[in-house]
Amino acid sequence: MRINDLILGLLMALLGAITVWASRDFPSLPRQDYGAGTFPTLIGALLIALGGVLSLRGWQRRGAMFAWQGDVALKHAMICVAAVVGAVVGYVLLTPILGFPIVSLVMLTALIGWLTGGRWRLALIVAFVATLLIWLTFAELLLVPLSLGILEEVIY
Amino acid sequence: MEALQEALGLVLDWQVLAVIVGASMFGLFIGAIPGLTATMATALLVPVTFFMDPLPAIGAIVSATAMAIVAGDIPGALLRIPGTPASAAYTDEAYLMGRQGRIGQALGVNLACSVIGGVIGVAILAFFAPLVAEFAIQFTSDEYFWLALLGLSCAVLVSGSDPLKGAISMLLGLLVSMVGMSSVSGQMRFIFGIPELLSGISILPVLIGLFAVAELLRRMPEIGRISLPTPPPVKKPFEGVGGMLWKYKGGMARSGILGTLIGALPGAGADIASWISYALARRLSRTPEKFGTGHPEGLVSASSANNAALSGAYIPALVFGIPGDTITAIIIGVLMMKGVTPGPDVFTTDAALVNAIFIVFLLANLLLLPLGLVAVRGARHILSVPSGVLYPLILLFCIVGAYAANNSMLDIWLMLGLGLLAYVMAENDFPIGPMILAVILGPIVEGNFLRSMIKANGDLLMLFERPIAATLGSLALLVWVAIIVSTLWSMRRASRKATPSQSG
Repeated sequence: MRINDLILGLLMALLGAITVWASRDFPSLPRQDYGAGTFPTLIGALLIALGGVLSLRGWQRRGAMFAWQGDVALKHAMICVAAVVGAVVGYVLLTPILGFPIVSLVMLTALIGWLTGGRWRLALIVAFVATLLIWLTFAELLLVPLSLGILEEVIY
Repeated sequence: MEALQEALGLVLDWQVLAVIVGASMFGLFIGAIPGLTATMATALLVPVTFFMDPLPAIGAIVSATAMAIVAGDIPGALLRIPGTPASAAYTDEAYLMGRQGRIGQALGVNLACSVIGGVIGVAILAFFAPLVAEFAIQFTSDEYFWLALLGLSCAVLVSGSDPLKGAISMLLGLLVSMVGMSSVSGQMRFIFGIPELLSGISILPVLIGLFAVAELLRRMPEIGRISLPTPPPVKKPFEGVGGMLWKYKGGMARSGILGTLIGALPGAGADIASWISYALARRLSRTPEKFGTGHPEGLVSASSANNAALSGAYIPALVFGIPGDTITAIIIGVLMMKGVTPGPDVFTTDAALVNAIFIVFLLANLLLLPLGLVAVRGARHILSVPSGVLYPLILLFCIVGAYAANNSMLDIWLMLGLGLLAYVMAENDFPIGPMILAVILGPIVEGNFLRSMIKANGDLLMLFERPIAATLGSLALLVWVAIIVSTLWSMRRASRKATPSQSG
């Protein structure tokens, strides 16, 4: 997805302006002109300047505002992005409730099955083995508290 | 001598050795798969290294990256698809050799030169790093400020065709590094009322988001589009390799040294080293017309150079704590997570650790030979793993990895957000390298600047008072002049191009 530099530059300049505004109250060091606000303000100001140059250049070059190049259809690419975002968001929201094993198993099966064009048996086997391995590595070996969720009641 | 013995004792521990072998195999696998880079291998390893001692952690990263760079040669030679960007310079050459029935020789040369280049790099690293450290021990915050700024500036300068986008990418990285409590004044900045952000944005989700999630997002739509052809079988690797290496020994030594030096420069890494030494080999060759037709001379030079560059990048990283490329930026991030701040003091206070790191380097490079051979033999199987299976596994690994360091769901959100940001940036030709360097260097630049200002009572010119600081400072300012000139130049060219098309 190519976005015209005009838009990207304006966004960067806006981000810079917000940064400058948000760092206006940072106190400087005692008896100094410099302090916690110096760098954020400088970074913000540079973002405004460089964002401005970028958008000026984008305007000069006059391309399309949005363009999609490449041999993959835009819709397909967006579906993939949505799938990744969905998987991550689903993981964060559901793991505390359902527990890591269930979420991981379902997520991997669904994604692998979808991406391999319906090889669900393969997907299920890989998902099971991978979930087990990750659980053993992270939860048992490295002692990362991966949530068990509702499985806690089943096991204990 | 005593330090060396102590260092050997540290390395020859079965756990350290097992980690090195395991990480090598992991790097081999990731590097051999087209589209997955050495940096991604590193980013995926970091969550696991988080739980290790400093030495095995560094050992894991060093061996995984060295192996990934070498394994990247394999799909290049077999399928004309470079496994990592560092192999791109000589992919055609190796592939054409394969078409002439010399595929085993091409891969044998790749492998042998990588080992030799790597060993040259380690030798230079082990010899020069302590010397530079001795010199660097007199550095004050002035020098460190300029050095870190120089690192950032060079990263922007060499980041790609468009330094303006590189500079913006750097600013975004700096912004990320400003979040949390300021190390000098203790002021809270940009924490949006989230207590977890007090200690700043943890480096782990940043790494995984920028280098793994963003890559996944870019590669996933291609699944099923490009079907990899079945690679040809590799027969008789190493046949005639010995003679060939002897024939081009001069080029090999030159590229090993050149690669190390390029690697040591801030901002330039293995891929640039291999391009430059390939071009140089062509210019100095007695038969430049044979280049590009399956001629091994360029292959010898470039594959020694890219592995040598890996070691070279550690010179500024270990001595000054200033990363020269993305991989060393990750290493420094890992060390800082463990409370070890790389710098010249480490060479005196922890000489055994430093020597142990050098030995690990040597070991990792020597391991390239047997493991690389296994990889060449097993290339067909590695390349037949369907991406549709692999990518979801990587995604899950990213999520668990981002969570693991702080057991925090916030880190997963950060990983996702930064991954999406890096995806949009990469799609629009913003380089990601300057951003990660800025995340690491931001606090170093700011902290040293403020310390210098406290010493100098706010007099900016005092930053140029000491001779070394003045030199470094002038260099950094020169780099910025170069960046500005090249940006203006490209704008003028673009507007010239635009004018005739308007009238016509």
